[in-house]
Amino acid sequence: MDLSHITQEEFEKIEDYLNNQLSSAELVAFEKSLKTDTDFKTKVDDIKTVLLGIETQALKEQLNVFHDEIAKTPNNTQTKSTKVHTINWKRLLVAAALIIAAGSIWILKGNSNEHLYAKYFSPDPGLPTMMSSTDNYAFYDAMVNYKQGDYKTAISKWETLQKTKPNNDTLSYFIGVAYLANKNEKIAIPLLEKVSKNPEFTLVNDAYYYLGLAYLKAENIKKAKASLQNSTIDNSKALLSELND
Amino acid sequence: MQKVDLTTNQKSLKLPLVEALKANDQLALKSLYTLNYPKIEAYILKNSGTKDQAKDIFQDAFITVWKNLKDDKFKAQNDSSIHGYLYTISKNKWLDYLRSKHHKKTIVASKMNHFEAADTNCSKNDDDILKEKRLEDVMLAFKNLGEACKSLLRKFYFEKKSMKLIAEELALDSASTRNKKYRCMQKLKEIALKNNN
Repeated sequence: MDLSHITQEEFEKIEDYLNNQLSSAELVAFEKSLKTDTDFKTKVDDIKTVLLGIETQALKEQLNVFHDEIAKTPNNTQTKSTKVHTINWKRLLVAAALIIAAGSIWILKGNSNEHLYAKYFSPDPGLPTMMSSTDNYAFYDAMVNYKQGDYKTAISKWETLQKTKPNNDTLSYFIGVAYLANKNEKIAIPLLEKVSKNPEFTLVNDAYYYLGLAYLKAENIKKAKASLQNSTIDNSKALLSELND
Repeated sequence: MQKVDLTTNQKSLKLPLVEALKANDQLALKSLYTLNYPKIEAYILKNSGTKDQAKDIFQDAFITVWKNLKDDKFKAQNDSSIHGYLYTISKNKWLDYLRSKHHKKTIVASKMNHFEAADTNCSKNDDDILKEKRLEDVMLAFKNLGEACKSLLRKFYFEKKSMKLIAEELALDSASTRNKKYRCMQKLKEIALKNNN
């Protein structure tokens, strides 16, 4: 049973059968031959195995690509542990002394807005990426860049997508937080301002919180407080009370 | 940072992971891989394995999960059950390995405190064994297939692109594309037969 005994026509018919693409009349005829002709059944089984083999091997090779990507990411456990082992004690002491010195300067200077911003700002964790449709593909593809901290690429991909969906709040929100994470609060503000105006938006509390942080970064305390007041997030309340102190 | 509305928000955006995995959606496969690998690696390293072994076991388990999803042997209730299933299969595969002869000499009983029921389908008939051998031959043949054919068959059967799209990419008409595919299949089978002998 090798393929030289199968004509192209026969092969394509079997393939259509395996992909459920036969018409109902064709299917009846096909299944009849399957039952009566054992050689034919062997051929069909063999093609099935060949197609599965191709798919499985292709997947296997794809998995190795994924694996190499994991190994390349900087927060991989191995690099972490080797770094720990190579720490030089003298350097550690110098670093500690510097941290203590820097810390005392902070205490002497008191709480600045910058300090508060640094304390409260951590980029939005993003959405889990496990979706399929072609439409969402572009969105989640950019989400992968965003999560890797490559805000520039994420922004440019999302902005392309935004041209086709100018009124999508989720999209505007993530472009906004990506700009903020990329230290560009001036562009982030109008985007977050826009989405936080929509009470139906699922991430409205996050939007107000990040808008508040963006204003804080821009040293506009009045507006920062106003935005934070609208968010129910615990961090938002905590930051607000620190600002009011 | 808490996401207050995360659950409701997810619902509106999420598409079934199972379908995406069955269709070999790149992002779905990648996220299943990258989200679960670190856990398995940690488990295997803790249980006297190496990183290379962790990679092999995990990829083997990953392919099993994917095949069982395709054949509807495993019906996932929700996305997290797929992750759990992958974790369990990886663990069982590792325990099977530890129990196997490769490892018997160095096994430490105290480290094997996570026993779980082994795969019950171990009684394979001859037909299955033959099929499995054939599958391995095809996989090896595909691995060694020339790049042009490999890329063409990959587009059809792994990426599941349409005939129209593939024909466009190759700048061929659909009849020539179909013929090319047929010839690539023949070449693949020739290599598989040769390996077998």
